[in-house]
Amino acid sequence: MIIYLMKRLGLAAIVVMAVLLLLFSMLHMIPGNPAILALGTRATPEAIAEYTARMHLDEPVLTQFVYFLGSALQGDLGQDVFSNRAVVDIIGERIGFSLALICTGMGWAVLLGVPLGCLAAVRPGSWVDRVTGVFSVGMIAVPSFLVSIWALLLFSLELRWLPAIGAGEPGDFADQLSHLVLPAFAIGLGWVGYLARMVRASMLEVMGEPYIRSARAFGLTPRRVVLGYALRVAILPTITLIGMGFGGLISSAVFAEIIFARPGVGKMIFDAVSDRNFPIVQGGVLVATGFYILVVLMSDLLIAWLDPRVRSSL
Amino acid sequence: MKDMDTHMTDETLLNIDALSLEFRTNRGQVKALRDISFPVKKGRILGIVGESGSGKSTVLWSILGLLAGNAKVTAGRVDYGDRDLLTLDAEALRALRGEEVSVVFQDPMTSQIPVLPYARQMSDILYRRAMSEADKRAAAVDMLRRVGIPDPESRVDAYPHQFSGGMRQRAGIAMSMLTGPNLLLADEPTTALDVTMEAQMIGLMRGLRDDFDTTIVVVSHNLGLIAEMCDDVVVMYAGEVVETGEVHDIFHNARHPYTRALLECDPARIADVSRKLPVIPGDIPDLTKPLAGCIFASRCQKAMPACATKAPPLVERGTGVARCHLLEGPLADASWPPPASVSTVARDDGAAAPLPANAGEPLLEVRDLNVQFRTMGALKARIRGVARPFVDAVLDVSLDIRPGETLALVGESGSGKTTLGRTILNLQAAAGGSVRFDGTEIGNMAERRFKPLRRDMAMMFQDPTGSLSPRKSVRALITEPLLIHGAEGRDLDAEAERLADMVRLPRGFLSRYPHELSGGQARRVGVARALALNPRLIVADEPTAGLDVSVQGEILNLMADLQAEHGLSYLIITHNLPVVRHIADRIAIMYLGRIVEDGPAAEVFANPAHPYTRALVEGVPQPDPDRRRPPSAAIEGEVPSLLRRPKGCDFATRCPLARDACRPAKPEHRHITPDRRHACLFPLTDTQDNKNKTETP
Ligand SMILES: Nc1ncnc2c1ncn2[C@@H]1O[C@H](COP(=O)(O)OP(=O)(O)O)[C@@H](O)[C@H]1O
Ligand code: SF4
Ligand code: SF4
Ligand SMILES: [Mg+2]
Repeated sequence: MIIYLMKRLGLAAIVVMAVLLLLFSMLHMIPGNPAILALGTRATPEAIAEYTARMHLDEPVLTQFVYFLGSALQGDLGQDVFSNRAVVDIIGERIGFSLALICTGMGWAVLLGVPLGCLAAVRPGSWVDRVTGVFSVGMIAVPSFLVSIWALLLFSLELRWLPAIGAGEPGDFADQLSHLVLPAFAIGLGWVGYLARMVRASMLEVMGEPYIRSARAFGLTPRRVVLGYALRVAILPTITLIGMGFGGLISSAVFAEIIFARPGVGKMIFDAVSDRNFPIVQGGVLVATGFYILVVLMSDLLIAWLDPRVRSSL
Repeated sequence: MKDMDTHMTDETLLNIDALSLEFRTNRGQVKALRDISFPVKKGRILGIVGESGSGKSTVLWSILGLLAGNAKVTAGRVDYGDRDLLTLDAEALRALRGEEVSVVFQDPMTSQIPVLPYARQMSDILYRRAMSEADKRAAAVDMLRRVGIPDPESRVDAYPHQFSGGMRQRAGIAMSMLTGPNLLLADEPTTALDVTMEAQMIGLMRGLRDDFDTTIVVVSHNLGLIAEMCDDVVVMYAGEVVETGEVHDIFHNARHPYTRALLECDPARIADVSRKLPVIPGDIPDLTKPLAGCIFASRCQKAMPACATKAPPLVERGTGVARCHLLEGPLADASWPPPASVSTVARDDGAAAPLPANAGEPLLEVRDLNVQFRTMGALKARIRGVARPFVDAVLDVSLDIRPGETLALVGESGSGKTTLGRTILNLQAAAGGSVRFDGTEIGNMAERRFKPLRRDMAMMFQDPTGSLSPRKSVRALITEPLLIHGAEGRDLDAEAERLADMVRLPRGFLSRYPHELSGGQARRVGVARALALNPRLIVADEPTAGLDVSVQGEILNLMADLQAEHGLSYLIITHNLPVVRHIADRIAIMYLGRIVEDGPAAEVFANPAHPYTRALVEGVPQPDPDRRRPPSAAIEGEVPSLLRRPKGCDFATRCPLARDACRPAKPEHRHITPDRRHACLFPLTDTQDNKNKTETP
């Protein structure tokens, strides 16, 4: 188990390195002076000279990479081109908004999708089954940014039920929550149907297994058979799917943040790209990747914890 | 015999009355059960026997009300006490399940949920009892101890995959007995187990019946198990009960031609060694078609014209009933049933010519072959300080197969038989030793160089339907080896027909797909594939596992004929000893990857030298209720894991004769005759000068 964990952490470290290398080479592959890229076109010659020295831009590329890696590992992701503030601080201010959005989005999708999938599996052909079936097919075809725009138009502009823009007053929890509802709804909606179908398929397979018949033959209640036995096994592939699904969810969140003008990391990256504010882009991408790696790792550990067969093969 | 009398009672616990049942399928209504009636007497063990597809399991599941969704009971009752289980509401039925009526399942691997520990699975079964969690756990531990799980206090927290096959089935029996049910239903409880485990399970279930006064209904196609375990027997064929009776009556005085045929087909009941086994030709009738007359008519050797149209009478006999025209009415035949010495089944007497012994140089020569499997990664081994991070799956194996000879490789599962077979065919790398085929060293040969030899050596796989690609027609399947080995210029259609004829598969089957084949037909396709390239050696892994005795004979007879015609050599990997006795020239017994005894089959059977050989030979339950073994006859324990190979004699942990001298080093192989070896320090049979040593244990 410990060896497994070490292996996985090692692997995660390698992926983070690879992303760093990618970001680093992007900066150097784009034609033009990297100092100007990093500082912006309005930078003064002194600033450029200072930056060139600080980032060792006059030294061999390999040395530069080592320096870059060194500072990145110490948590130094450079400075904002415009405000000169540390990128880490800026991300720190914004990451909470993004995490809240992503977790709420996935959270409500799981809380609704998994029970719907169970219901659909227990009664194939029932209305729950048919509705989730149609819904999931429909939702896979519609990108989440369209859902965001519709939700914005309908619920805030047309019906005026919920606020359209921003993340709410700092410190006012109710207000923040009301600002979270629409974007979280938009990014999670597609997942409800998708998860319901996944859980349904996986449940149907498990319900046909001999051990489910054993549980029924021992007289366990139908409720216990479905929730305590079938779902206990059927949820395992769904966990992997959810872990991997966070990748897609992060990109949906970027769009949702843009559309709802939510001050999260996604919006930050978007703005920075249009401003050619390279250090911010770099930092944002790094944080997003790190988050994704962490989620996948956690889902694998969760599976190992829930499935003794996986656990003992580690 | 003795214990039978103590369970003589006439009180009926469960009565099945005129039960008929259909399955709705896309082929039409399958009339799976028709007019089934029999009582289950309290405190006794009732066995239901019949070929697969005869409806045995369906009867069991209908007692519990757990039939598949497409099943529909069309008539009948299942009376338990004063209640009809077929009309009981769902709640009342559920209250019965697990408490009063419980089940032991066929395959403990798939019938126990893999993600919950036994403690939890067992306390779940006790959910209706007002007991504390601690008491439930204690009850689970007690029951695990009762069924022979060592160290139950800690093993109760194990998960199914952490148990071996035999332990898992013990745990399955513990789960079913936890509530002390009145009625225990067991569906093929030992089919997934080795003979040694089977004997242990039979003893265990009989013991539990005595201790808990539980009535048992056991379903099996294994006549040995039925004879050894049951008091009463119901014989089913194609969805009907053809005969019932007390076990001695069924085995010694069978009235129905089907019962009689089934018994005569069992190789364990055929005393004289014969290469050709009797068979019941034909297949179970299609149950979607309208059925008239006697259901067995299409395969019955005694069938008369009227049998096909006129339903046979149900005739009362001493301890049961039988359904046949020969027994009563205008068609009755006073000379039926003939004495046991008269054969009533199809015997293919074009006996395959026995081969001259020692016919020439060995075709296959294996010397000191070793195969190792890694147990952990190099990194893990380094960290844990494990010097040898691998196990010996095959250890110093030497054997010869001469042209036209059949060598049977026998041992419990996990003894390395399949690995050895695969290594001989170069499908698995060897860690040392040599394999010579027709004088050429082929061990670890590069596949490119080995490919031409693949024509000479073929493999017949276990589980034919699993190893046949479901999307290919039989024609494509049996000509596939020809395509792989470049059959330019050959007429594939003609080849397919030639092969189909060889394995006696009607040519019409060439356009069918694997799922449309019966077990025996799928096996024939497997044989045809193996034969496609005219090999000289065929390695057959469990060629008849899972086949009914009536069909098994057809496959073995076919293999014997092909051997006589083409001079084939066979390496047959099996744990079915009664069959081995009839088909093998030589036999090699494997235990934990080592050959512990080998020699001419007849001699080894008659006089086992190694205690393990004796345990295997005696482990087979005899299909004769008068030859029941005492429960203690079964050897104890299971094959240890390769990770825990004993230091001295591998068998020492289970050997009844083990003593200190056995433990320091592995016994060397010693010859009794030039043709016979064993690896035991205190053999049961030996050359004269060793005799004295063995007689003073
Ligand atoms: N769920 C099912 N749907 C359709 N046919 C079935 C089903 N279960 C069993 N059968 C058919 O019913 C007959 C009896 O099957 P089964 O009770 O499993 O026999 P046995 O246990 O004696 O092998 C067979 O012809 C089988 O194909
Ligand atoms: S009734 Fe006729 S066909 Fe049926 S078992 Fe008796 S003799 Fe054979
Ligand atoms: S060597 Fe000893 S332990 Fe091994 S089989 Fe012979 S008697 Fe038994
Ligand atoms: Mg069955």
